[in-house]
Amino acid sequence: MSAPAVRLPVSRGLSRWLGEHLSLLAGAGILAFFILLALAAPLVAPYDPVAQMADVRLQPPSLAHPFGTDNFGRDVLSRVIWGTRIDLQIAFIGVAFPFVIGTLLGTVAGFFGGIVDTVFMRVIDIILAFPFLVLMLSIIAILGPGLASFYIAMALVGWVSYARLVRAQILVLKNSDYAVAAVSLGFSRARIMFRHLLPNAIAGSLVFVMSDAVLVLLNGAAISYLGLGVQPPTAEWGIMVAEGQPFVTTAWWITLFPGLSIVFLAFAFSLLGDALGDLLGVHE
Amino acid sequence: MHRYKFVLYRPLQLLPVLFGISVITFVLVRLIPGDPARVLLGTRATPTAIARIREQYGLDEPIWLQYFYFIENLGRGEMGKSILYKIDVLKLIATRIEPTLMLVLTSVVLSILIALPMSAIAARCQGRLPDHAVRIVSTMGIGFPPFWLALMLIIFFSVQLDLFPVSGYGETIPEKLWHLALPSLTIALSLSAVITRSLRAAMIHSLRSDVATAARARGMPEGIVFWRHVLPNSLVPTINLLAVNIGWLIGGSVVVESVFALPGMGQLLVRAIFSRDYMVVQGVAMVFACATVLVNFLADIITVTVDPRVKL
Amino acid sequence: MTALLSIRDLVVNFHGGPEPRTLIDRVSVDLAKGEILGLVGESGSGKSLLCRAVMGLLPSRRLSVDGGSVMLEGRDLVRASTADMLSVRGREIGMIFQNPTSHLDPVMKIGDQIAEGIRFHEGAGGREAREAAVEMLAKVGFPDPSRQYDSYPHEFSGGMRQRAMIAAALSCRPKILIADEPTTALDVTIQAQILELLLDLRESLGLSVILITHDLGIVAQTCDRIAVMRGGRLVEQGPKREVLAAPRHDYTRMLIGSHPSLPAAGEAKPAAAHRQARPLLEVDDLHVRFDVGGSFLRFGGRKQVSAVKGVSFQVMEGDTIGIVGESGSGKSTLARAILGLTPLSSGHVTFDGVDLAQQPGRALAKLRRETAMVFQDPLNALNPRFTVAETLGEVLKVNGMPSADIPGRIDELLDLVHLGREFAGRKPRSLSGGQCQRVGIARALAVNPRLIIADECVAALDVTIQKQIVDLFAELKARMNLTLLFIAHDLAIVRNLCERVLVMYHGEVVEDGPSAEIFARPQRPYTAALIGAVPDIDPDKKLLAPRSDTAPAAA
Repeated sequence: MSAPAVRLPVSRGLSRWLGEHLSLLAGAGILAFFILLALAAPLVAPYDPVAQMADVRLQPPSLAHPFGTDNFGRDVLSRVIWGTRIDLQIAFIGVAFPFVIGTLLGTVAGFFGGIVDTVFMRVIDIILAFPFLVLMLSIIAILGPGLASFYIAMALVGWVSYARLVRAQILVLKNSDYAVAAVSLGFSRARIMFRHLLPNAIAGSLVFVMSDAVLVLLNGAAISYLGLGVQPPTAEWGIMVAEGQPFVTTAWWITLFPGLSIVFLAFAFSLLGDALGDLLGVHE
Repeated sequence: MHRYKFVLYRPLQLLPVLFGISVITFVLVRLIPGDPARVLLGTRATPTAIARIREQYGLDEPIWLQYFYFIENLGRGEMGKSILYKIDVLKLIATRIEPTLMLVLTSVVLSILIALPMSAIAARCQGRLPDHAVRIVSTMGIGFPPFWLALMLIIFFSVQLDLFPVSGYGETIPEKLWHLALPSLTIALSLSAVITRSLRAAMIHSLRSDVATAARARGMPEGIVFWRHVLPNSLVPTINLLAVNIGWLIGGSVVVESVFALPGMGQLLVRAIFSRDYMVVQGVAMVFACATVLVNFLADIITVTVDPRVKL
Repeated sequence: MTALLSIRDLVVNFHGGPEPRTLIDRVSVDLAKGEILGLVGESGSGKSLLCRAVMGLLPSRRLSVDGGSVMLEGRDLVRASTADMLSVRGREIGMIFQNPTSHLDPVMKIGDQIAEGIRFHEGAGGREAREAAVEMLAKVGFPDPSRQYDSYPHEFSGGMRQRAMIAAALSCRPKILIADEPTTALDVTIQAQILELLLDLRESLGLSVILITHDLGIVAQTCDRIAVMRGGRLVEQGPKREVLAAPRHDYTRMLIGSHPSLPAAGEAKPAAAHRQARPLLEVDDLHVRFDVGGSFLRFGGRKQVSAVKGVSFQVMEGDTIGIVGESGSGKSTLARAILGLTPLSSGHVTFDGVDLAQQPGRALAKLRRETAMVFQDPLNALNPRFTVAETLGEVLKVNGMPSADIPGRIDELLDLVHLGREFAGRKPRSLSGGQCQRVGIARALAVNPRLIIADECVAALDVTIQKQIVDLFAELKARMNLTLLFIAHDLAIVRNLCERVLVMYHGEVVEDGPSAEIFARPQRPYTAALIGAVPDIDPDKKLLAPRSDTAPAAA
């Protein structure tokens, strides 16, 4: 093949790669943007997110306040930027604990089976019988409002989905020929469980992490919106929507921008989930 | 029909789950620090009321005996009085079931009406423009916070177009449906995104499946292949998805009822949390959990009806 | 000879990469009226794709017919409109597939799937179509068609499902039937019945058939002409006897040479003469039962099925024993029970003097160290995340080999199974089935086992690869004095490799003895039926389809 003929397929290959991984790139791009925004909040936010300026209350978007101001004269853009910190934190912490706890418990239950597994599955059935948000709200009602209560409630409730997912995978893989081969060759249980089964079982939960991040983000914001999570005057997207609600007919910008931020961050997680699913060959 | 035999014994199998639900709801309230009688009755309770509740729930007895009294009271249809409404919690909840049930039902119907054509179009145009559009919209739709979406719908449909009311319920059925329009649309937009994603994937899988190939090899046109083979085979996973998402749906209804001031169980729960009306929190959580169990049971029956292979 | 269907210079290309890839390369073949044409080839030869192209049902939008013609009674199907093709498919050409389970709609009644075509193509009303479908069901051998019309596919055995698919394909009386590996998923006795049905239908309906298969034995038994495909090209075609007796192309010769055939009676190898005092493995009255369903809260009590019922036999050091039986005969369960991978319900497995039932700890430790298993699905038997070297190295490490010696031993093992050393760094996904199976065998050899159990280890492979793996086993056996339990459903392979054979049926050993003896003079009718049903590559050794009432396989 002559030289010019080679170049064409290469560039075409690159564009095809980009086309096939568009959701990966878009998702990672949006997420990276939000992470940078959160890290650089003090540098990029034009105003103090909690500073009240009586003379600029309920201002529509302008050059000085691109996203307008709220009823206390606080800059909505600055609040949205600072809110990135809290909402990212909600998504990360709210997913991390359940992921670790659920994966470990699910692996053990699936691998050992028997009575351990039966009891374990009953507990999961019972927790799953409660609607997620209702159980979360009930726990928070007891622990008292606040972000700490939210994280504790997440850790208590959220692991269930991961445990179920991993357990189901382990049950399948446990009977696969390579696992039987490992048993027949006298490998130790720990080796089979953690070197052979878990790495192959975890793909599904890694994809689920992304769709779970969407749920956690939405629930965290909803709990704050209801007034049971992050407390005022802290800038957080859910509570900002709640604060803008009385003015929704006159000052739409107070609610629009924090809501859009949630939509885009959630969109990024969903895109990453789809891309990961394609890369790892997992489909829900 | 012995395939439906599980309808008889499944309720018995569900007993451990119901037992677990009662334990969790019981424990929820006992975990609150402080005197349970005071917690249950609120700060302004009279000494006689406190004495009465101590006796009724055996609050001075060991915890397992307290649980026994709790179950005994439940058996009589009593969970205790709401501080705020001064009537028994179960009676209170009974008056709030209808709006929530209506909201959930209209949302499910609406989201199926949206999701079915969307996923059918996407699956049959796979890889082309309509499919990409449906994929982007549904991927985005999953991330719409219901409380915010509700406000946006209010701005558009109530403020701009003046079509639907922004809050409250109604007396007659048309009135109720009119009031439910925006709340159920809020939930349906998110739920239909979830269903569309799953149904589209299932349909694409079925369109490429051996079943479809065999039907085509018999000379069936695409229309028959789609409606008689692809769709029925795609519905089974979607029914399960709906059942799994009932908890999520109830969560959404809690938020949406609060936004639209719908007098349902969700709104009751949120108000109860703020007024520390723990009896009500306990009751609502338990009723919601039992409802979820019931919905999953119904989903099993539907699955057995739709898919002759399933044996439970 | 006037051809009913005439394929001329057909080209199918895949448009995925920068250049189109040719998958079917100028294939020309004719099908005469009333003829059965055998289209033979290994996986990837393009034989299925060719028939999909004829039907206008290419499996991907990236595939297209880029040249040639398919003439059916004066019309070119390649250029036919979509609407015209609808009336060709089902009405003029019917098609059946390898896996009836996945090709029948699981949520539609079997009768409705047959009636569907009658209603659409012939515009028949509901009752008319039902009557026609019932008649069709009777024709393909359903004993109670008017009742079975209302059953769903999962209620039938694999053989009956294939009959239902044939009924659906023939419901509108097409002139041509394309059968794509129609018996590959079936047991050998059921296969013989389905092939007999196809021959009957050809007679009664005047069908012409294109039979796609990888098994030259089936072609020899059923077809009039043979077309051999390889890599998208037609390498040879001609009348059956001519091609089989005097193949012109090297590849055809190799295919014929690889075909495992039962040797003529009498030419038996002598069994190993010297016998040690103590058997290496002794199985005595072994039972394995499984619980099915029945959780502690389910009513109706626990149900048990017996997979292995009272099996006894002895294996001497250096023996090669074949265990044959159809699906569900319990042969794989037996293998797993022997290795301590499935709990025994009762009876004894004694390996090298240690009883698994009495000293489970010691016996398991010994079994793990001194036995190994080779699996059916070579890809699934390897951890997908490990390279070949990691897979082998792990076994050596766990068995206490110093890490300095491991690379050398890995090279040795790869040499032993004739796999280049450059394969050490590759992962299973980048290997072919045959290569994966060689890795699986290398892994089994890594522990220096005294006993290897191979469970259907060639069933998933193409015939030429099958032959290579069987040859490898024969070579290793001669070189290393291996003791081998070789489980297979393919009698011919077992006959050629093993000195002794156990025939299993419904969990019991129904016959046990020297291979030559059993194959020449089977004592039990079941064994005789099994042997008679194997399609031989010699067209003159007639296939004997067992009568359905004596047909043993249920599933």
